[in-house]
Amino acid sequence: MCTPVKGRGRVRLNVGGRMFETTAATLASAGRDTMLGAMLDAAWNNSDCTVAADEEEYFIDRDPDCFAVLLDLLRTGSLHVPPHVTDRFLCREALYYGLLDAVRAARWGPLDGDRLCLAASVPGTATGDGTAVRAAPDGGLCVAHGGAVRVYNWVLEERRPVNLHHAPVNDAAYLDESTLLLAARDRPGGGGGVAAFSALTGDLTHRYRVSHDRQVRPFTPGALAFDPHRGNIFASCKGRFNEYGIGVWDSTAGEQVGFLYEPPGCALGDADKLQWIDGTGTLMAATMFPRTDSSFISLLDFRDKNGVAWSWSDVGTPASSMEDKHVLHAVAMDDGQSLCVINQYDDLGFLDIRSSGNASGGVRWRSRSKLAAATRKKQKRNAPPQRAHGEEETCYPKLAAHGGQLFASTGDAISVFSGPDYVLTSTLRGSDGAGAICDFSIGGDRLFALHDEVNVVDVWETPPAPVI
Amino acid sequence: MSSQKKRTLKIDAFKHKVEADPKFFDKSWKKLEDAIREIYNHNASGLSFEELYRTAYNLVLHKHGPKLYEKLTENLKGHLKEMCRSIEDAQGSLFLEELQRRWADHNKALQMIRDILMYMDRTFITSSKKTPVFDLGLELWRDFVVHAPKIYGRLVDTLLELIHRERMGEVINRGLMRSTTKMLLDLGSSVYQDDFEKHFLEVSASFYSGESQQFIECCDCGEYLKKSERRLAEELERVSQYMDAKTADKITSVVDKEMLSKHMQRLIHMENSGLVNMFVDDKHEDLSRMYNLFKRVPDGHSTIRSVMASHVKESGKALVSDPEKIKDPIEFVQRLLNEKDKYDEIISVSFSNDKTFQNALNSSFENFINLNNRSPEFISLFVDDKLRKGVKGANEEDVETVLDKVMMLFRYLQEKDVFEKYYKQHLAKRLLSGKTTSDEAERSMLVKLKTECGYQFTSKLEGMFNDLKTSHDTVQSFYANLSGDTDGPTVSVQILTTGSWPTQPCTPCKLPPEIVDISEKFRAFYLGTHNGRRLTWQTNMGNADIKATFGGRRHELNVSTYQMCVLMLFNSADGLTYGDIEQATAIPHADLKRCLQSLACVKGKNVLRKEPMSKDISDNDTFYYNDKFTSKLVKVKIGTVVAQKETEPEKLETRQRVEEDRKPQIEAAIVRIMKSRRVLDHNSIITEVTKQLQSRFLPNPVVIKKRIESLIEREFLERDKVDRKMYRYLA
Repeated sequence: MCTPVKGRGRVRLNVGGRMFETTAATLASAGRDTMLGAMLDAAWNNSDCTVAADEEEYFIDRDPDCFAVLLDLLRTGSLHVPPHVTDRFLCREALYYGLLDAVRAARWGPLDGDRLCLAASVPGTATGDGTAVRAAPDGGLCVAHGGAVRVYNWVLEERRPVNLHHAPVNDAAYLDESTLLLAARDRPGGGGGVAAFSALTGDLTHRYRVSHDRQVRPFTPGALAFDPHRGNIFASCKGRFNEYGIGVWDSTAGEQVGFLYEPPGCALGDADKLQWIDGTGTLMAATMFPRTDSSFISLLDFRDKNGVAWSWSDVGTPASSMEDKHVLHAVAMDDGQSLCVINQYDDLGFLDIRSSGNASGGVRWRSRSKLAAATRKKQKRNAPPQRAHGEEETCYPKLAAHGGQLFASTGDAISVFSGPDYVLTSTLRGSDGAGAICDFSIGGDRLFALHDEVNVVDVWETPPAPVI
Repeated sequence: MSSQKKRTLKIDAFKHKVEADPKFFDKSWKKLEDAIREIYNHNASGLSFEELYRTAYNLVLHKHGPKLYEKLTENLKGHLKEMCRSIEDAQGSLFLEELQRRWADHNKALQMIRDILMYMDRTFITSSKKTPVFDLGLELWRDFVVHAPKIYGRLVDTLLELIHRERMGEVINRGLMRSTTKMLLDLGSSVYQDDFEKHFLEVSASFYSGESQQFIECCDCGEYLKKSERRLAEELERVSQYMDAKTADKITSVVDKEMLSKHMQRLIHMENSGLVNMFVDDKHEDLSRMYNLFKRVPDGHSTIRSVMASHVKESGKALVSDPEKIKDPIEFVQRLLNEKDKYDEIISVSFSNDKTFQNALNSSFENFINLNNRSPEFISLFVDDKLRKGVKGANEEDVETVLDKVMMLFRYLQEKDVFEKYYKQHLAKRLLSGKTTSDEAERSMLVKLKTECGYQFTSKLEGMFNDLKTSHDTVQSFYANLSGDTDGPTVSVQILTTGSWPTQPCTPCKLPPEIVDISEKFRAFYLGTHNGRRLTWQTNMGNADIKATFGGRRHELNVSTYQMCVLMLFNSADGLTYGDIEQATAIPHADLKRCLQSLACVKGKNVLRKEPMSKDISDNDTFYYNDKFTSKLVKVKIGTVVAQKETEPEKLETRQRVEEDRKPQIEAAIVRIMKSRRVLDHNSIITEVTKQLQSRFLPNPVVIKKRIESLIEREFLERDKVDRKMYRYLA
């Protein structure tokens, strides 16, 4: 039994003709920088005495059905969308009230590799093979196909595609949710290089140039990386005149701030993966098979004159111990103490970066579990027929680390490894018949896997925690 | 993030509305413009937020974002220009108040305008990377109000003027100052820095440069420092009251530079009140102020330190080289100790026990104490004095503290071996004459020396103590053996190990027959119990108690062995010439003279009468038994006239002995070094030897060279055949 208390903290809203009654606290929980928060703020309500304010009703000229969903979100923190309310509709209304971030946060939870569900598939439309998929910080994504990059927002609606004179794209990276960086191959007529685009409008906003001896030179960027704390952009660069190395730019000023020429014995300009490692303040540059016969991984410290702080290479490793294993991909682990590598037999290996590269005893290989091996065979068996006669296309395995978990794409599945020893805990297998995964990316609490065959992108997310 | 939906929605919107009403933008904007005016006029109560929000939303939705933004900018400019005029019109002190009032209004209005235009902030502005509405309002305020030509200069001048007045002691409205500087900070830290802080620092620099000039002309050093300290505290307080915390370091560095750095030399060397005077007058408070203030100045502490070091050296040098002051060794050492105490206190009280200052003090003391080569002797004499009468007025703890302090001085000595020599002599005297008052104090001094210099240094001194103890036992067992035969004098023999004691070879004097008898018995007893030893009598060091009768009055005389021999002669004769005495006793000339002097010439203790009466003893004098001798005391102690301090020739002799003793030590060091190094050049040997020996003394390179030559002669070493500067060890 409740004592009926008149008014106190209660708010009456008339939304598009339907009456809602809620508390000021519920509406204020949306935040001062939302429409509802501002509407109830003292600045807009200082007119008459408070009793009158209680009597007052606020009129909002919007759709009541959608408001009901959003009010429920404010009341409970969870999102329940009736079937007749579409995503577009909901998002438009949420944007009006300034609640879009709240809607997104309620849609999926923090990424946990072991609780991932296939949420959607984005069909591929481009011809040719996708080279890379990249996750935006807000849950959007982009897919690089040949000479263009297709951009999707987090509702997975497509935006304007981005291209740099349709030059083949080698890598893409998000600087923030609205800025996309592209690395495109240099061609005789010019047009390649590194450029930033607005992910929202698709407009080119800045081109990052490389100068050697104060002269701007064309170059082909390979891989991209971004250090969000200092705002530095890195790209592996191959110049036309054998200027190989890593270019560094300041993302806000847009100017080149350095160029680390590749020292003898280090492959930097060819690197196919760059990764900024925050804990150590270094950049990992990995050049791997099949681009080169032997793999070379180094950590670059740009505060140091010498540049190369740590390096490892399989050159000169006795063939017997190698068993012809090629390192195909590498990723720096979250702890900033080790690197993980993978070979063509899907073996995982670890490198300790706290002690010097080859001296540390090289790669500690770990044999994979049988499950993973079986996966691979099964995938081969199930491979669509056109694949059998077709061109010998191989999708090399890829690695990613997130939240203490390790993700590895092998064939058409992604394996998730957890715990201090990285034991296999989950296998993600998505769209049927989409073929092998040629790239995947984690960001904005989502995992995107780009399938080779039909260029479909599977979207994996962690559903919100169950109610009970 | 989300503008994409905006685009898709646009298509819908186009279909029904926009084309239909060409005046759509103007009408909508009019509504917003009116609302903004009402907001600025504090008349917002009639406005409907929802309606305004919806209006702005529709404008952005229909692609009017750029136009809306532009109109808004213009509109804000208009309002700001109006505000600007009213601020400009404010007179005098009302200026700042008006500025603040308007700033508060503007802030509040901006907040509401931003609320209305929130949708534009979220969509149009993010995608076009323009300045958000609120920040735009601040920027415009900065450009059109703060930087308005009629306001800018006035604002800065007003602020600086108020600060100046506060510095001169007036009370100003700090709340207003605080809100004004906060406004500048809100506009961005660069605005605060460029438009206020920069000028503030400049003006402060010139203010303090002028004020410090004025102070330094009319204040003494202590007063000046007091004023600087107060100014520093004031500035810090000012910053905490109404400026950005980051200004604190900047303004204090200005004050440091203007008031302290620039005048540091002059302050430290100020006549009659500078650093040296503070030391002399023990101005602890001023000193600690100076220490704390000059900590802030580059080279501040090192300057204080070097002035202190040179002052200590200077005054110490004067102390150790003043012939008046070195007359009394006890006084001399006491002065050193007082000096040390004084500076120790200054460092602990005023210089927060700064290690670097302690080191500087130590090296200065080391420097001047060693200027006088009699320091080791004097320090030993001082210890002697303390240990002789130590317990008399003072308790043991006091003696202990005095000894500890003396050890400090001892540490400064370079010629520790010389000290050892003297200490041994003085200790021997104390022990043999039974004048040590406290065995414990003696032992504790030994322990201190041992911890300071190692076992080697004190082993002989410890030997001396052991000798005394065994002697005591030996004499007891001798008398136990001799039971029955107790007639005649008793002897107490102290058997001194040769080498442990500072004995000089002396020809024994002729002892009176009674003594000879008993001492021969002792010799027989001792040699009987200890095989293969030799016993020689050191008659110059003993003493004796004899009973004598003067005209019926019985007295007990405490005399030295020599004096006893002389007095015993008078048992058989009343008068003897100097020659007779010398012949009968065979006492060395100088000693005999000294002992006769003390027997005949000291008033109240003249048991002998001399003819002719004079102060000095000459070879022709005759001595008579003085039956008129009287004394109130039954026991009379007849001291020998001893020079406590060494006389010049004695000093030379000691020095020579020390030099002689050093030779084997230097040689041993050289051999040790060469044995391990095999081949070494001359300079390295010198350095190594000096390093090895410096805990005992500072060897002279010339002496080392001589020792090396001597070793080459004796074929311990050889010169390299090619490089004559290299030496080789010959195993």
